[in-house]
Amino acid sequence: MTRQDLFELAARNMRNARLRNALTTIGIAVGVASLVAMMSLGIGLQRFANHQLMKSGMFQTVFVTSRQDPRNMDDNADAKPDAKPEESPALDDAARAKIAALPGVEEVAPEVRATAEVEYAEHTNFTMLAGLPWSARDEDSLEKMKGSFFSSATAEEAILQRDFAKKLDANPENLIGKKIVLRYAHRQGGGAEGFQIERRQKSFTIVGLLDEQPYGGMRMISRARVFVPTQTALAMDLMQPADTQQLVRAEPAERTYSMLTVRMVSATQAEAVEDAVKKMHFSAYSYLDATRSMRRFFAVLDMFLGIFGSLALAVASLAIVNTLVMAVLERRREIGIMKAIGASDSDVKRIFFAEAATMGLFGGVMGVILGWLIGRAINLGANLYLHRLKMPPEGLLLVPLWLAAAAVLFAIMVSVVAGIYPAARAARLDPVEALRYE
Amino acid sequence: MSEASAPGKQPVIIPAVEALAASRYYQMGEATVRAVDEVTFTLARGEFAALLGPSGSGKSTLLNLLAGLDRLTAGNIRVQGAELAKMDSEALARYRRLTVGMIFQSFNLVPTMTLADNVELPLRFAEFPRAERRDRVHELLAGVGLAGRAQHKPSQLSGGEQQRAAIARALANRPGLLLADEPTGNLDSRNGQEVMALLEQLNSQMGVTVLMVTHDPALAARYARRALHMADGRMLAAEVAQ
Ligand SMILES: Nc1ncnc2c1ncn2[C@@H]1O[C@H](COP(=O)(O)OP(=O)(O)OP(=O)(O)O)[C@@H](O)[C@H]1O
Ligand SMILES: [Mg+2]
Repeated sequence: MTRQDLFELAARNMRNARLRNALTTIGIAVGVASLVAMMSLGIGLQRFANHQLMKSGMFQTVFVTSRQDPRNMDDNADAKPDAKPEESPALDDAARAKIAALPGVEEVAPEVRATAEVEYAEHTNFTMLAGLPWSARDEDSLEKMKGSFFSSATAEEAILQRDFAKKLDANPENLIGKKIVLRYAHRQGGGAEGFQIERRQKSFTIVGLLDEQPYGGMRMISRARVFVPTQTALAMDLMQPADTQQLVRAEPAERTYSMLTVRMVSATQAEAVEDAVKKMHFSAYSYLDATRSMRRFFAVLDMFLGIFGSLALAVASLAIVNTLVMAVLERRREIGIMKAIGASDSDVKRIFFAEAATMGLFGGVMGVILGWLIGRAINLGANLYLHRLKMPPEGLLLVPLWLAAAAVLFAIMVSVVAGIYPAARAARLDPVEALRYE
Repeated sequence: MSEASAPGKQPVIIPAVEALAASRYYQMGEATVRAVDEVTFTLARGEFAALLGPSGSGKSTLLNLLAGLDRLTAGNIRVQGAELAKMDSEALARYRRLTVGMIFQSFNLVPTMTLADNVELPLRFAEFPRAERRDRVHELLAGVGLAGRAQHKPSQLSGGEQQRAAIARALANRPGLLLADEPTGNLDSRNGQEVMALLEQLNSQMGVTVLMVTHDPALAARYARRALHMADGRMLAAEVAQ
């Protein structure tokens, strides 16, 4: 029998027991809807969490420190303050260039952080000065900044932290466009002869005010109150903590950096770059490490939501078994007739499978629509709540296309599996027996 | 399929039906019911035979064996060269689809289907080309005088009309053998005669071999050219009618 005939017969049979088949199909739809709602909640929550973290730009960033650095960011086995020189190369310009040459790296910005004196309107304030890499310009946390980002990577411009700006002017907004003078310790010379330290000063134009800390305040580099472009800061040869270390150890050498911030074009390269950097004998750390456990959590959550969502579908599959067994009993004679005029056992079996699959298809499609509507309703409710808390709206439930397609396929699969027993029973029916009685 | 004869010999006629010690036993606890017991007979191509015998003599059981609906306990049946004893269930289904047609005392039309759908059903199982189905169904219904009733449900028809529709369905895939189990048993004499006339016409004009079970010796005498008698599952001596 051709597939078209099969489904024509199945459709006819379903029309003949319209109410019963419709109720069973609705049962499947409810099961699929619960599965879709649960799964879309898991997917939506995961996307929500990922999105929050992605927005911070953290996943595109790997932090590199020297293993010798006593302030090493993680206390893992990488950190070896007493490591031999060949096991722990210096984090210098050569290393910086090597890392910058790795595939996928957009920018390698050294951490530049120093104490400085700020003079404005004949008042002075002592504070922390830090370099802000050029790649930070599209950082989400800087979106809400007043004024603008640096006009170029080497501009003599400064961005102030708002609380600090208040010390300079009660109305910090007035400061934008004004000039400040920065006094700082300048490292003079280097190499085998060692270096001297000088007091220097430089004039900067204030271009912006920052409410939040860059990178959500999660990075050491950002703990400062005055920011200038990293390249400008490097050109100023600010005295760095690494210099102190060199001085104390009396190991005159090239300039080294305490930390490099490696910015990738996309988060997908972070892992590879992190591995490559570790092979160069540096400590590397990325927030991908921190989210590994989070991703595991979501995998488990999805699984549980999936299992609970499937329960209703499991119940619905019993309804299919029941409906089809009833149909076999009711259509005993019809099955006998079909066999008498040439239907094979497998034809009979396929007719019942086609009926099961049809219910699965309709139930699946209806269920996906229903599940999507439930998701919309929950989103609407959640957003009403968020609105009252004056928080931006979020899509908590998400029904991606693959989930919709998978749910329909799953519904068909479950239905066909539920059809195995009734179909086998119908195929086994003895036609002589079935045709004997009126 | 009758082959050219060897020189000097009579032409070999391959019979349409050949039963060789065909048996169907039912095991009822300790007792064995010999519903059909070593029945041997042949039907020639184009023959119209009646199968007579008292109730419970095994007529329906024999017909079901011939129809490929039931399996032989022992012996063999050959229909147009095909050996039923050797067939698996798939081959038997194919045999029922293409080689035999069967009609019943109770018509056995699918009550929820129109006549056209009922007649189309065996065409579906045989994967008869879709494009030609409408014409074939029409031709079959017209052949039994029901062209105008194609879209009627069986319940809207008289018994005679239903049996004629059942005949149209049995002939859908042009079988060479038509088995009829008391086809007029549920009909009044006028409708019964209509159905018998149709069977006779099919037999004489299209050469369909017909084996008909009946209780009515008069009917057998009038239409069948030969009568077979069964009693207690056994075939009595075959005799020529008239
Ligand atoms: N499934 C079965 N189990 C046990 N015995 C059976 C079964 N089917 C038929 N029989 C027996 O086989 C014998 C032949 O039955 P069958 O129906 O072939 O008779 P019949 O000649 O067609 O009778 P009738 O003229 O009443 O239709 C009967 O004795 C019947 O009881
Ligand atoms: Mg009988």
